[in-house]
Amino acid sequence: MYLAKVIKRVVSVVKHEAYYNKKVYVIKPILPNGEEIDTEHVAIDYVGAGVGDIVVCGGAPGVAQTIFGLERAPIRTLIIAIVDKINYVET
Amino acid sequence: MKLGIVIGKTWATRKVKELDGCQLYILQPISSNGKLDGTPLVAADPENIAASGDIVVYVTSTDAAQAFKNGYAPVNASIVQRVESIA
Repeated sequence: MYLAKVIKRVVSVVKHEAYYNKKVYVIKPILPNGEEIDTEHVAIDYVGAGVGDIVVCGGAPGVAQTIFGLERAPIRTLIIAIVDKINYVET
Repeated sequence: MKLGIVIGKTWATRKVKELDGCQLYILQPISSNGKLDGTPLVAADPENIAASGDIVVYVTSTDAAQAFKNGYAPVNASIVQRVESIA
């Protein structure tokens, strides 16, 4: 799992059936101090996050099938928590 | 899952039977503002979603096989969504 910032929303009409009625966002992984990492991922929202939120993302094979109750789910990255506060010690 | 743009297509007469009727496209990973992001790859399109020039969302590794009807195919990347817009 990793911290990320939700930066954009992806809108589409034609999609795999596992993606019906799901919100898809572009997320940018960040460090605990808020520094952005130079890569982008696409993630499916499971908690009701919106653009601008700091979130926890993650996923593993089989997780999306289980939580969405689907037989087949070509889904890897899920937004699984919205972060209110980060407390950490700089090392 | 990542964003990519379809930059090409491959034709193959002989392929494994799981890939029958399935197009194989060449994808260039991109970032949401359209910048290139890494080296091109070949992705399967089991639901016939994409066409040349489209921006798509693709999945890699184990989840790529899940995009197929039978849940099994020897693929490493699959297209799952055609992007209309990114806001």
